Amino acid sequence: MIEIKNLFYSYGDSIALDDINLVIRPGEAVALMGANGCGKSTLLKLINGLISPDQGSYSFNGVEITEKKLQDAKFSKLFHQKIGFVFQNSDTQLFSSSVYDEVAFGPRQMGMSESEVDIRVNDCLCLLSIQSLKNRIPYHLSGGEKRKVAIACVMSLNPEVLVLDEPMNGLDPKTQRWLVEFLNHLNKAGKTLITSTHNLELVHGISNRAVLFHEEHTIAADLPTERLLENVELLKKVNLI
Amino acid sequence: MDNLKDHKIEMPEWIYSNENYIPLTDKDTFINKSILSVFHVISRIRMQDSLDNSRFKINVSLNIFFTFLLIVLLSITKSFIFVVIVIVYLLSILSFTEADRLVKILKFSISVTLFTAVIMLPAFFMGNSYSSIMITTKVFATTTSMGLLSYSSKWNSITEALKLFHVPDIFILILDITIKYIFMLGDYSMNMLYALKLRSVGKNSNKYTSMAGIAGTTFLQSKEMVTDMYHAMECRGFTGEYHICNKSKFKWVDYIFIAINVGAILLFFHFERA
Amino acid sequence: MHIPDNYLSPSTCALMSAAMVPVWTRAVKKVKEEIPKVKIPSLGVGAAFSFLLMMFNVPLPGGTTGHAVGGTLIAILMGPYAACISVTVALLIQALLFGDGGILSFGANCFNMAFVLPFLGYFIYKAVKDNMKSEKGEYLGIILGSYVGINAAALCAAIEFGIQPLLFKDAAGQALYCPYPLSISIPAMVIPHLLVAGIVEAVFTLFIVIYIKKVSPGTMYEESDEKKNAIYGLLAFLICLTPLGLLATGTAWGEWGTEEIGSVVSGGKALGFVPQGMKAGVNFKALLPDYAVNGLPEIAGYLLSAIAGVAIFIIFFKVISSFKKDKAGGKLG
Repeated sequence: MIEIKNLFYSYGDSIALDDINLVIRPGEAVALMGANGCGKSTLLKLINGLISPDQGSYSFNGVEITEKKLQDAKFSKLFHQKIGFVFQNSDTQLFSSSVYDEVAFGPRQMGMSESEVDIRVNDCLCLLSIQSLKNRIPYHLSGGEKRKVAIACVMSLNPEVLVLDEPMNGLDPKTQRWLVEFLNHLNKAGKTLITSTHNLELVHGISNRAVLFHEEHTIAADLPTERLLENVELLKKVNLI
Repeated sequence: MDNLKDHKIEMPEWIYSNENYIPLTDKDTFINKSILSVFHVISRIRMQDSLDNSRFKINVSLNIFFTFLLIVLLSITKSFIFVVIVIVYLLSILSFTEADRLVKILKFSISVTLFTAVIMLPAFFMGNSYSSIMITTKVFATTTSMGLLSYSSKWNSITEALKLFHVPDIFILILDITIKYIFMLGDYSMNMLYALKLRSVGKNSNKYTSMAGIAGTTFLQSKEMVTDMYHAMECRGFTGEYHICNKSKFKWVDYIFIAINVGAILLFFHFERA
Repeated sequence: MHIPDNYLSPSTCALMSAAMVPVWTRAVKKVKEEIPKVKIPSLGVGAAFSFLLMMFNVPLPGGTTGHAVGGTLIAILMGPYAACISVTVALLIQALLFGDGGILSFGANCFNMAFVLPFLGYFIYKAVKDNMKSEKGEYLGIILGSYVGINAAALCAAIEFGIQPLLFKDAAGQALYCPYPLSISIPAMVIPHLLVAGIVEAVFTLFIVIYIKKVSPGTMYEESDEKKNAIYGLLAFLICLTPLGLLATGTAWGEWGTEEIGSVVSGGKALGFVPQGMKAGVNFKALLPDYAVNGLPEIAGYLLSAIAGVAIFIIFFKVISSFKKDKAGGKLG
């Protein structure tokens, strides 16, 4: 599904990703782990086609994603529909003036009729149990509520891959537990999940495979989550603990 | 929150199947354009932060003073040769600049110059050869000297050096805060634009509403940041007074710089008198 | 609409900066009354917002894009005086650090975009809103205010450009600065603004205000004593326009018709002259003495105006610093 080969990326002089190789198959739940500034977020941006690699290639469903292809509006739209991105800062993801409009934004663009949109939006609100927020203004919601609305507005596009950047950040323990369970359900429903996190307690709940980043922006390990967590030596080595 | 009892998560039907979707075309280059211009500004601010205060570093206050003076002289002069001499001088300074910055300065000044040339073209054919040639070359000289100033000095040292012109400290503080918040709000709004782009998977019939949402949220966010900022400043004892100590000494390059600029002034009078 | 350096004569630049002094002084005074001293740095955040607003592109019919200036919007959100200062700071940063707009023409740019645009836009908005006293009235005010505001600013810029060839010519009758007379500069600046930029400005401003009113109505600017302010603002506006008008009417207003004809007539000759002019070096010598003839007295005048400009600059900032001391003194008293 996702295939990354010998990928390099740098911001000006500073390297962010150094020779990354990674294959993710449909239905997997992968966690990207690593210390702050190791390149996780950059990789997520890349997977979502927001930035393009300096070197190397990135393929999605067997098609190489290049800057040129993304300039083709039709291609880029289809690509963005298939892969959903939940931003680290939910604030930046919400710009409509009601939760309903926010969630309906995607389905409306996809050309659904208003009645279809209504069903889709209500399903999503139910799915995240935020029906009561329907007519609220996203800007004034609490951190946890904003995160849920952000997830709902991505889910309404029904993407095949869901990418989440530090989704546990700033959530209370109860909402964290809820999110773990929710992601589990999504995975069981066949969605591919890619999550970046440095939350060691929750990582085994949301992934069956973990990719560990070195501070030097390379991949240090790619193991089943349980086994990676056992390797305390390695986690210390990459300065995660 | 509403789900006090542990909510059972139920998946709707559609989630089990992949969306069979053929995108509609839409004219939405404005998102990319906005991202690009914000990105440009952010990277420009980031770039000047990585400047090192290494060799050939001219005292910033001096640099500003003489850059302004040069711009005034350029604006007044009617001597084409003076403008050419100044350009030669600027280009020779430019040649000492590292390639990376050099390209950016030239790219900027040449693009502005070309723009001016296009604007002046009709005048040129109408018989105004003097002003069209003169203004275009003057614009090149002015933008190059401004480019040299802004690309070779850290911006906080430029704002600090404004003290020389009796700009009050509090105003310099405002300028510094503006630069910082252009960066922070820029980063924030760029992420919003990214989010808009990722979710623009079809036809958006309310483009203005979406962009207004982004601009409006950025404004509200800026208001919130303001409150946080002055609370933090108050906690650190800020009462509206702010003092900058400017501790810069002249080095040998500075004297050379002064000499060159005095030379430029003398040349200016020479050509105006001749 | 950012005027670069060398399009306007230094004396025009000095004049425009001089026109801004009373505006800045008044704005500083008003902001001082409206915002407590500790919050003064927050003007920087407003400036940052006004800077970024110009980065946001919106679609135009035909697939192209455009961006708003947002002067009226900031005046509606923050009040006209704070808007004046915020836009000034944003323009200063653009000119000083991003090379957008000239250093000498900073005063002229401020006059157009930090003064005419937000004040005129705001007072129209206010007048329509107060007279109609309904939501529709407010929206109409926003549209009219922002539309008229940006067009007035463009008109001012066009006039500044257009008077250059009338006032500043060399012995050979060639323009020294912007070569286009009012008959060209006004339509060239104003028509695109009337048809496109003004509409973008109006619609975008309206949508942003609607969004903010819906999401966070408390953050909008509320004015205390409106009537007085409106009169003051209008007065200040007229006073500032007077020197410009005098200058234009007094010296050359009536002249520009013949001047324009002249340029058309000599057009043929000039065309013959062009290929020669392109033979670089030799021609410069021929060009030079001509321009050097009317040398000294004029230079003295120019220098004088340049000094005036610098002096005015210093005076302006002294005024700001005095307001700082003022406040401290007030506390003692």
